[in-house]
Amino acid sequence: MAASTVEIFNSLWTVFVTLGVLVGVVVISYMAYLVVRNRARPGRPEPEDVPKPGELPREQRGAKKLLISVILSATIVISLILITFTALDVLDRPPADAFEVKVVAFQWGWKFYYPNGYESTGELRIPRGVPVKFYVTSQDVFHNMGIIDLRFKVDAIPGKTNIGWMRVYTTGVYDIRCFELCGDGHGVMIGRLVVMEPEEFESWYSSLTVS
Amino acid sequence: MGSHHLPPTSSLRRWLMTTDHKDVGILYLVTSIYFLVVAGVLALVFRLQLAEPGLNFLSPTAFNQAITIHGLLMILFVISPLAFALANYVVPLQIGARDLAFPRLNALSYWLFLFGGVLVIISFFQERTLDVGWTMYQPLTSAFSPYVGVNTGGLGLALLTASVTVSTVNFVVTIFRSRAKGLRLTALPMFTMSVLLTVLMMLYAFPALLAGIILLASDRLLGTVYFTSPEGGAILWDHIFWFFGHPEVYIVLFPALGVMADTLVTFSRRPLFGRRIIISAMVIVALISFLVWGHHMFLTGIHPDVRRAFVVTTIAISLPFDAIFLSFIYTLSKAKIELRTPMLFTLGSIAIFIIGGITGVFLGSIALDYVLRGTYFVVAHFHYTMAGGGLVGLIAGLYYWYPKMTGRMFSEKLGRLQFILTMIGFNMLYFPLFLAWEMPRRVPLYVESLIPLNQVATIGGFVFGASFLVMFWNLLYSLKYGEPAGENPWGAHTLEWMTKSPPPSGNFEGTPAFVDGRLTFVAANGAAGGEMETHLSIWPLMLSLASFVALLGLTTNILVTTAGLGLLAFSVLGFAGERFISREGELGERWPFDRVDRMKLAWWTFISSEIVLFGVILSAYVYVRTASATWPAPGTLFDIGHGAVNTFVLLTSSLTVALALASSRSGSRAGTVGFLAATLALGAFFLFNKYDEWAELFGHGVTFSSGLPASTFFLTTGIHGAHVFAGLLALVYLLVRALRGAYVRDGHETLEYFGYYWHFVDIVWVFIFPLFYLV
Repeated sequence: MAASTVEIFNSLWTVFVTLGVLVGVVVISYMAYLVVRNRARPGRPEPEDVPKPGELPREQRGAKKLLISVILSATIVISLILITFTALDVLDRPPADAFEVKVVAFQWGWKFYYPNGYESTGELRIPRGVPVKFYVTSQDVFHNMGIIDLRFKVDAIPGKTNIGWMRVYTTGVYDIRCFELCGDGHGVMIGRLVVMEPEEFESWYSSLTVS
Repeated sequence: MGSHHLPPTSSLRRWLMTTDHKDVGILYLVTSIYFLVVAGVLALVFRLQLAEPGLNFLSPTAFNQAITIHGLLMILFVISPLAFALANYVVPLQIGARDLAFPRLNALSYWLFLFGGVLVIISFFQERTLDVGWTMYQPLTSAFSPYVGVNTGGLGLALLTASVTVSTVNFVVTIFRSRAKGLRLTALPMFTMSVLLTVLMMLYAFPALLAGIILLASDRLLGTVYFTSPEGGAILWDHIFWFFGHPEVYIVLFPALGVMADTLVTFSRRPLFGRRIIISAMVIVALISFLVWGHHMFLTGIHPDVRRAFVVTTIAISLPFDAIFLSFIYTLSKAKIELRTPMLFTLGSIAIFIIGGITGVFLGSIALDYVLRGTYFVVAHFHYTMAGGGLVGLIAGLYYWYPKMTGRMFSEKLGRLQFILTMIGFNMLYFPLFLAWEMPRRVPLYVESLIPLNQVATIGGFVFGASFLVMFWNLLYSLKYGEPAGENPWGAHTLEWMTKSPPPSGNFEGTPAFVDGRLTFVAANGAAGGEMETHLSIWPLMLSLASFVALLGLTTNILVTTAGLGLLAFSVLGFAGERFISREGELGERWPFDRVDRMKLAWWTFISSEIVLFGVILSAYVYVRTASATWPAPGTLFDIGHGAVNTFVLLTSSLTVALALASSRSGSRAGTVGFLAATLALGAFFLFNKYDEWAELFGHGVTFSSGLPASTFFLTTGIHGAHVFAGLLALVYLLVRALRGAYVRDGHETLEYFGYYWHFVDIVWVFIFPLFYLV
């Protein structure tokens, strides 16, 4: 079974969070350790190289120490980005057999156009387990179509059609929200995505009468 | 003393007329704190709304206005001006200068900044101020917000960019040309170094913002279609705005990095670790900052290869930061760390910034950005960097230099209390927002499971706010009751501590110089024997007030604008005619501009920023033209004849202005007057011919709003024409003075500087002519 787009995101997220927390904790703890260990206590002598008033700046040398640390952090960052590119190869390539839906955002709601010509406003139904490809645009201002529970987001820009796709294995109802400030109704620009069992979807979809 | 004494600090006249960099620094400080309070209260108001979903405490419009103005004020009118409050006060002291290179221009930057902010505040009381987010995305801000408050707010930003340009030129010239003898560029104290890099970024980033605002204002007020047409629209704005916007992030941060570096050295009693590496890293960041804007556009559907290129630059810019912050931390080894208030804030700010930096890597990953874009994760990330790294870092600087500015120590106890409240409040406010990463930004309505996180954040917001009250009380109380500070309370090594607190007018007793790396004071003040220096001028205030009135009229009553323009003309003449004496010290380190005098350097600096302004405007033209499916063929819409004649006329005028300079140098008054008059005539003919061309187009029904070819033509040639017009006004002034015999025996330089400007305007036309008429 091909991975769902949600799983791809979640595994990437886990890697980033783990490494991010690890690096943050190590670096901040090391700093805290230095501060506590080297704080001014009675009897602690001034360092020999203390900059004296009126002196031009000098520097502490230690290129090696720094080089090693920067190479270490560079390794972490670059590997994270390489993982990202691998994930992108999947996320940026919608399967050819995807079910295709056109989405038009407007102030303040969502219109959906199905391949058979059926249109609906506010609610979109898709089958479970099937890749769905979205062609997203806007009829007025810059919006962003986001279904955060399904880790999905596409910019909706007037005069431009952007593509996103997803494959979902869990049925249910999900909020479609706008993630780009688009005016007074931005906060309530909420649509519904209904993920249905394929058989249920099929019977609903074939029963539609298109004018 | 060789300088006029300033009126006492209790005199209003002093504060309205001062040009002393220390006074101007105090003015910046007080004003930025005022805007901090306004923007902070706005934040508390919308945090209250967010304490529960669906509270109707604020209407959606009010909510959007609150978040927008909060962001704009904090970024443009609080953090940067606070940094420039410190820079104004400290940079001349750190380099051993008597003042900034152009004291009157410095006062002018302050007043322009103040009145820009006043315009933004006024827009609140008109019909709807900006309610579109600080990023002002299109076409929401152009076609879909027909409110007068948006215009006024936008014009306030335009006034701010004027302030920034004047100020950056001033700092560039000062830091290059007013250093004490022996203070090489590489030996600058870190704060001054960071300010230098900041102003260089500002110099080339803000013209992009100005260009964006000009196009936007033109769409809104004149009806051009840059952002309302889909070929330009959202993506064009994204490119322009983020070309400014991403360097702006580092502009906000860099002065704080300088504060951190200086305080780390002072309070850890050790030299900075890897000083040269830090400086190199900052230079690299400043350069790459202009190449990362696309990472704000990962989801807009830009080409995948372009996107990947921006990922690479984004990663490339994160590595110098690793070097900078690790060097900061390594400075602490084998140190004797004195945990005074400024040091506490520096350490706190570093820790917070590290979290902000790490989370930035998340956003640099396109795949994660697909999901995190537009969420609270982004909000948390940029508050950790800009508010935590920037603002909290600057608080360290404020405490650090407070004794220098006031001559008094603040209460260490209250300083620590504020530090604790800041750290608790800040992290309570923003850390939960990382955890609430599923929540969209800028919405008052959210799912119930996020209520606890939002409530913690709201409480944290009030704690963070309270921490500032402690600071205000501390700083005000200590002004009167603090212990006397003495010259160098921290035992620091940099130059600003080697004079009285607060320093006298002229800053030092004697002229500081570094001989063999040691500070000495040579002779008396360089001003001895010369003319008295001037420290007071009313014209900076008058010029700014006039610009303010003129802009306010644009959104209220055009008669007001007329009055403003009249006042502006009067003020320009007053400014130009005033005898204002400020001298550069004679001894000084000026590499690499030893042979370029300060006015020349200032003109070159200014013109280089104009290149970005026209570069963006011309790029916008190329962009929309490339994006358009059809475009009228050359010669069909715009008359090549008009363009060709104007090219000839303008190039000839470049020749005559050069001949005017040559005549003045050879002492020929008739030649000077004659060639200036010829230049004026050619320039006037250029504008007349332009008018004729425009009138013809309007006669044929081609107006600002007749599609992109017309919009881009009118706007680009209009902005260029405005530059020609400004040049003509200057020419009239030069000609009147030349008729009275000026520029012949001395003062040729004035004609030389004008020549640079005029040649530049001609060169811009050399790009416009083929781009608009021939291809």
